[in-house]
Amino acid sequence: MKYQQIDQFAAGLAREKRAAVYDGSKAGYDSRYKALFTHYTAPDELRHLAGEIKQHAIENLDTYLPQVEAKLQENGAKVHWAADAREACEAVLKIMRDRGATKMVKAKTMVSEEIELAHFLEKEGVECLETDLGEFIVQIDHDHPSHIVKPIIHKNRREIATSFEKNGLGEYNDDPGTITRRARQYLRHKYLAADVALTGANFLSAESGRMVLVTNEGNSRFCLAATKVHIALIGIEKIVARDRDLAVLLNLLGRSGTGQQLTSYTEFITGPKSAAQPDGPEEMHVIFVDNGRTDVLESDCREILRCIRCGACLNVCPVYRQASGHAYRAVYPGPVGAVLSPLLAGKKFPEMADLPKASTLCGACNEVCPVNIPIPDLLLRLRDKGKQAGSAAASAATPPMGGYAILATQPAAWKAALSMGGIINAVPTPLLPQAAKTWVETRGLPPWRGGQFRKWMKQRKKS
Amino acid sequence: MSASSREAILNRVRAALTPLPRRAAYPEFGDNVATMPAFDREADRWTAFSERQKLVNGMPMVGATALATWLRENGHLRGYCDPTLWAELAPAFGPEFSVSTDYDRAQVDEYAFGITRAAGAIAETGSIILNDSTTSRRLGALTPWVHAAVLRRENIYSDVAAAIAALGKDTNIIFCTGPSKTADVEGILIEGVHGPGVQIALLID
Amino acid sequence: MSPHERHRPNGKRVQLMATCLCDAFFDDAAAATVEVLEYLGCEIAFPEAQTCCGQPAFNGGDWKASRKVVRHTVKTFAGEEPVVVPSGSCAAMMFHGALLEFEKEPDLPQVAQLASRTWELADFIVNGLGVTKWPGRYEATVAFHRSCHSRGTASGPAALTLLGSIEGLKVAPFGEGEQCCGFGGTFSVAFPTISQAMGNLKLDHVLATQPDEIVSADMSCLMHMGGLAAKGGRPVKTRHIAQILRDSLKNASATAR
Ligand code: SF4
Repeated sequence: MKYQQIDQFAAGLAREKRAAVYDGSKAGYDSRYKALFTHYTAPDELRHLAGEIKQHAIENLDTYLPQVEAKLQENGAKVHWAADAREACEAVLKIMRDRGATKMVKAKTMVSEEIELAHFLEKEGVECLETDLGEFIVQIDHDHPSHIVKPIIHKNRREIATSFEKNGLGEYNDDPGTITRRARQYLRHKYLAADVALTGANFLSAESGRMVLVTNEGNSRFCLAATKVHIALIGIEKIVARDRDLAVLLNLLGRSGTGQQLTSYTEFITGPKSAAQPDGPEEMHVIFVDNGRTDVLESDCREILRCIRCGACLNVCPVYRQASGHAYRAVYPGPVGAVLSPLLAGKKFPEMADLPKASTLCGACNEVCPVNIPIPDLLLRLRDKGKQAGSAAASAATPPMGGYAILATQPAAWKAALSMGGIINAVPTPLLPQAAKTWVETRGLPPWRGGQFRKWMKQRKKS
Repeated sequence: MSASSREAILNRVRAALTPLPRRAAYPEFGDNVATMPAFDREADRWTAFSERQKLVNGMPMVGATALATWLRENGHLRGYCDPTLWAELAPAFGPEFSVSTDYDRAQVDEYAFGITRAAGAIAETGSIILNDSTTSRRLGALTPWVHAAVLRRENIYSDVAAAIAALGKDTNIIFCTGPSKTADVEGILIEGVHGPGVQIALLID
Repeated sequence: MSPHERHRPNGKRVQLMATCLCDAFFDDAAAATVEVLEYLGCEIAFPEAQTCCGQPAFNGGDWKASRKVVRHTVKTFAGEEPVVVPSGSCAAMMFHGALLEFEKEPDLPQVAQLASRTWELADFIVNGLGVTKWPGRYEATVAFHRSCHSRGTASGPAALTLLGSIEGLKVAPFGEGEQCCGFGGTFSVAFPTISQAMGNLKLDHVLATQPDEIVSADMSCLMHMGGLAAKGGRPVKTRHIAQILRDSLKNASATAR
């Protein structure tokens, strides 16, 4: 392979898409910066604290998981456990079958994407409708989300208007207000006709068994007002120790994700609806999903489990901005995805081991991460793992380092190379090794001055 | 499936964590670390709340008459109202209004406004707090284009941390910070996606 | 612990790590470093056996190869003196990257010992020697590219302190300064499309302010940006911060004469 896969994807990306992704990410970065730095005097201290809060929780999951399970049961929820994607899908299906339910409305959840729930349920004859506007558009377009907070960052209004027209949602009209109104009108009747609501959770407090769900559109609220059964798919890493942790995390999540103090709807749910309330689920099911998370917990990259899915690292990432989310070939794109996707890939790790290469290690992701995940360090560890696993995807277009290591550990050979290196200026470009050729073709090389400094230094010492 | 998966997952968690030489400790922090330093927690709560609610495109209002006038002027004449509130509010509403105190799902498209109680509010963020014990109908507070949440002055918390500390036992609590919104299409802000396009906080003393 | 939080030896007897790029291409940047340190009264040792910090293999994912190079460097820079490096990136490799790849190695303490006395040049001048005002004169408007590997360290602020204090020198801020130039070591040849796009974007922002020169603490970023600019038909002068400091001193003595 000539270059890395993500680079090839970027090279083939339509100019219009790149512009949409670039502008959307940059706007996200700007609004985050404004919110954090106008509201706080020391936002970095808060990020570090939030990181410690989450790190504590994940390193004590053996205590908190059973604790939160007991709390949830006490609050009237039923708890299920799913080791992998198949078990999670089947658990959902079983809950639905037990009630003869056939229609599900779904609020945006990354775990459901991960386990490909919609696909599974449709094959089983269950209607499964996305209600988040962006996810709904992705669904009717048979596309994939390309950002964890803004799923259709790669689309423009004209594409959306066209697919609305095709799907019988009115004549072509690309006004964003009209598009939204039409979705509102179409979806509200779907909510009211559905039997089951499926959501994720942003946080789950071990202290109270309270789960927190944030949305801007109010779709999860509608799901939980219209249906009688609530299923929450929750990755085991969503747990925090105490309710008071939520104040720190929620304040950072809104600002980091969308530049808001708080996301418009922040819901705290402890169980089924109260008896006096006419609307909402009479049953609540929590499905704890592992699906590779315990592998991550075991690895030396467990810090990535702190992630609160704010999308800030995608927005700031120069590689994401150029390549778009689809380049990452997985549910989680951008820097977080470059760490998480190979780790969650299990046996397919070598196939995904090129993702950690797609970074200049510039560290911007770490600088914006609300839970201060050292993403560059994790990418580096995964590069080493990829090399050890002999991943062809990872080593594509990367010059081999064996010769370099020999030269750089033998001073005499090093100095000889310095004095002979000038031949690089004499060799015709097509005969250069691939890496050097790529460099020379695109950037030009400064004149070779090998050993000149050492000479200068010697003379200086003498004089 | 579930029972054995439970054990399998917990065993894997233990196996992953046991080798750690030490576990990250629970950090020490004050309850208000994430409260905005410039926010004056001693200020008059309603005034502070109103200012912040306007910043998130919410509408603070005082008194039933103001609400009825605004609804009339904007042509929102059909709506739903919490039955336990209606007796208090009705005198301000004229005969041109058609208000139901019994929410009917089949009429979802007919309600232009919904009036329910707020459990409280948060001054720091301009959020309204709703919960199951004070909201007469979840749908009544959500589906109409305009939602007015009736608020008592003494229920306004100063900041998010205080509101979270006071969450209590209610099974479903929600902080509504401005109207329902999206920026999914080209990053352009559009209000009123699935929930209200207009979020009013109505202060009644 | 980040490098500026810990105590590092800061005496005036120093060892110089010239870096492989200066060894091969940019001898004048290394020479300028020597002149600047000597002006500050430093006694400089230049261990002849030095080669490279090990970063190319480290970033390329070949930690086994990289560790060999790091071991060589640790041996070469034995001692207690501060080690000064005219590169944010190589310095970060020595005080951060090396620790990462030696986490499970028996000789971690030796690597950590070198890490604890490694300084990037501007950081050493400002925070090691306490110099915050740079004498002399340098008539130019410069764009300062804070290289990414000094993110979160004291190097960026230190460089700006020095540059900002030079008479006649104006630092022109440019858009999206937090963004990377797109070099990234082997990234530049394994991801040439993205690398170039990033570099050109950086150049668009930088050149919009019409600087006389682009200045950075890292020759690698400058080599990439300068090369792209030349290929793109908009050549721009690139200079290492040590060259600016040295020339500022020269200009001072020229006026004095
Ligand atoms: S890794 Fe950090 S910045 Fe990226 S999505 Fe997760 S929490 Fe946000």
